[in-house]
Amino acid sequence: MGVAKLKKAELYYHKSVHEEIAAALQSSGVCQIIDAGSNTESGTRPSAIEARLAESEERLADVRYLMRTLTPHFNDPVPSLDRMLGEKPVMSMAELSQLAHDTDLSGEAQKVRSLEHEIGEVRLELSQARANQALLANYSFFPYELAVITEGTRTLAAAAGIVKAEQLEAFKKAVNNFEHDTELFISYDAKAKAPEAYAVILYSRDKAQQILDACVKSGMSMAEVPAEFKGLVGEEKAKNSELINKLEKKESELINNMKKLADEYMPTVQKLSDYWTSLTSRWQALGASGETECVMFTKFWLPAKEVEKVQGKIEAVSPDVALFFADPEAGEEPPTMLTNGNLVRPFNILTELYSPPKYKGIDPTPLLAPFFFVFFGMCLGDAGYAIIMGAAIYWLFKKYKRIPLGIKDFVTLFAFSAVSTFVYGIISGSFFGNFIDAFLPFLIPVKNAFMLVDPMTNPMQVLGISLLLGVIHLMFGLLISAYEKLKDNNYFDAIGADISWFLLIVGLCLFGTGAGGMLPAAFGFIGKYMAIVGAVIIFIYAAWTKEGNIFSKLISGLLALYGSTSYLGDILSYSRLLALGFGSAVIGMIINLLGGMAANIPYIGWLIGIVVVAGGHLFSVLINLLGAFVHPLRLQYVEFFGKFYTGGGEPFTPLTNSEEFVSVKA
Amino acid sequence: MEYLGLSLALFGAACASALAGIGSAIGIGIAGESAAGVMTEDPNKFGSCLILQALPGTQGIYGLLITFFVLNQLNMLGGGAPAMPTWNQGLQIFAACLPIAIVGFISAIYQGKTSAASIQMISKKPEAMGKAIILPAMVETYAVLALLTSILMLMGVQVA
Repeated sequence: MGVAKLKKAELYYHKSVHEEIAAALQSSGVCQIIDAGSNTESGTRPSAIEARLAESEERLADVRYLMRTLTPHFNDPVPSLDRMLGEKPVMSMAELSQLAHDTDLSGEAQKVRSLEHEIGEVRLELSQARANQALLANYSFFPYELAVITEGTRTLAAAAGIVKAEQLEAFKKAVNNFEHDTELFISYDAKAKAPEAYAVILYSRDKAQQILDACVKSGMSMAEVPAEFKGLVGEEKAKNSELINKLEKKESELINNMKKLADEYMPTVQKLSDYWTSLTSRWQALGASGETECVMFTKFWLPAKEVEKVQGKIEAVSPDVALFFADPEAGEEPPTMLTNGNLVRPFNILTELYSPPKYKGIDPTPLLAPFFFVFFGMCLGDAGYAIIMGAAIYWLFKKYKRIPLGIKDFVTLFAFSAVSTFVYGIISGSFFGNFIDAFLPFLIPVKNAFMLVDPMTNPMQVLGISLLLGVIHLMFGLLISAYEKLKDNNYFDAIGADISWFLLIVGLCLFGTGAGGMLPAAFGFIGKYMAIVGAVIIFIYAAWTKEGNIFSKLISGLLALYGSTSYLGDILSYSRLLALGFGSAVIGMIINLLGGMAANIPYIGWLIGIVVVAGGHLFSVLINLLGAFVHPLRLQYVEFFGKFYTGGGEPFTPLTNSEEFVSVKA
Repeated sequence: MEYLGLSLALFGAACASALAGIGSAIGIGIAGESAAGVMTEDPNKFGSCLILQALPGTQGIYGLLITFFVLNQLNMLGGGAPAMPTWNQGLQIFAACLPIAIVGFISAIYQGKTSAASIQMISKKPEAMGKAIILPAMVETYAVLALLTSILMLMGVQVA
């Protein structure tokens, strides 16, 4: 339970076996390599490792290039969800290494690169040809051969251009000044109020400069007609569209080739992606080792209970190693690994999402687990929805036998939550909302027999329960904080900062319920004095710890008492347990109502009703699941952790093999 | 004048759905823009982006919930003649709808902004998903409280 004990290992080995040692450390999957320190000059890796790292990084770059380029063309036969849930081939590192040896990654990358280049060129040509096609379409009104524009004759030349519609008249006028030396062709779609007109102007070469200047000044912008166009516009258009067809065909052919390459290479590349990622991370981590002339040494953290296993593994590689284990020293801050039994372990995720505890700190997971369990159940609070969750999780576990541990824990967390959801659904009488009242009235007595609370007709009762749970949760947090301080023999702060508030709030609650007649008057009497004692301690503690004169001490004491409003806010925050549970019940009710209304449609109503009810409840499960996860989590993080927990530990990240596409056999 | 109560009550019900719905639409829109930006860089983040984008959507649902609550109280669901609240009762129902209408509208927009920021956060630090979800959920607290207020107020109004 709690934070796992770690040992610090020092390993000395001969350089001739360093690769095998590194592989053994990585395959054990429980060693976090740390900087060997003193003997290494900062920033330099042992030369043997430097070479291996450079090689694997180079291969990894090829792999990444291939993955990035080929993935869009690859029809992966294994859906990525299946892969995430553990459906991937099993291979040993030796097999992977053989595969890496047999595969010419840089050759494959070269092939793909040249094909990619070819596709790029064809696409460039294609876009040029398409642009030309558009250009030709714009000037299809020009009656002569295009050679007049692109080459001209000895005395004549021509220019094509575009004129803005509003400048068209001015332009025509300007050209008119050269009436004898020009001929103008204009196409303007006046009906459609086109923004631009297309113009070709034929002019004599003698006055070329003057005429062109006048054209540009009056608003014509020149269009470039490519030199290869010589024939009539219609002919050139036909030729060009043939070219486009040819290029399009070539493009699809090349893309097809790319697809073939993807189908051929990707299965191997995926496996090698894991291999080279593993090797790169291995050499990066081992780069922190130190070296002398013949010996290398590596330091790493490992869990105390894995010591024998790792020792066995390393000694199997070579008997000529020196391996020492030591407990963390006083000044050291080892990483944190949470170990909890099967019941609590799924909740580790919640702690890790926040921030793992420091190595010597307290592990809040077992403390928050029961509260999260109950709160989740109250927020979703529907037996029907719990059955859907349970069925989905059962199907998942049935179908996928090799789910990785992290994902399995996460799913198990929801399986637990389904249990509490089911229980709360039964005692609050919610089964797919009010499904029983709406459609199965003969079951109402059964439902009522199990009902302990009724949020629909008596929400104040559930509100009371929610706030009471809040008080318990908060007070539990305060007591943990006090316990932590007492462990350090810090009685002063434990009583002043934690126990005082505990007395005040529990006292006020007892006093209130006693006075309200919910508890015997004796409790009210005790509560009154508890609250008074608590308040006095809070006042004195705040005044005592404040430095300054008597007035600032007094003010500080009063301000501390005013801090009780923040406890009021914290407690009211738990009203969300009622609101969210109520929300899912009412949404369920609405869906049943709509389904019932749809069922009144003649002939096909029953079908629509079923679709509305089934689809509606599925939507409701998903949306309420999100809320039922997020809000109880917030109550842990903000209200509960705020009392005693700050986290701040480094998570334990051992060197492991990458297993995105294959599971690596030990 | 005999319909004034009914009209006021319906006006409240409409406000609850409409304002909270508009707020959610804006909030989800803001978060969606951010999500689309992140996904152009890394399409694999679709799953986590979608969850963060959906967070400001609950206000709209809370609004709908209150609307149905009112309609149910007015006996306007499932046929039959609607209940005829007095204008005083109608005004009370209208008042009860205001918390979720107003708080839903505004909190959804701010939650959307926080979601958008959280989406930017997971684009750089995908491992911080837990924290990224909690930040927008902090904003939602007030929508939940408003929903609770509206529900408790509605339960207090007696329609003959």
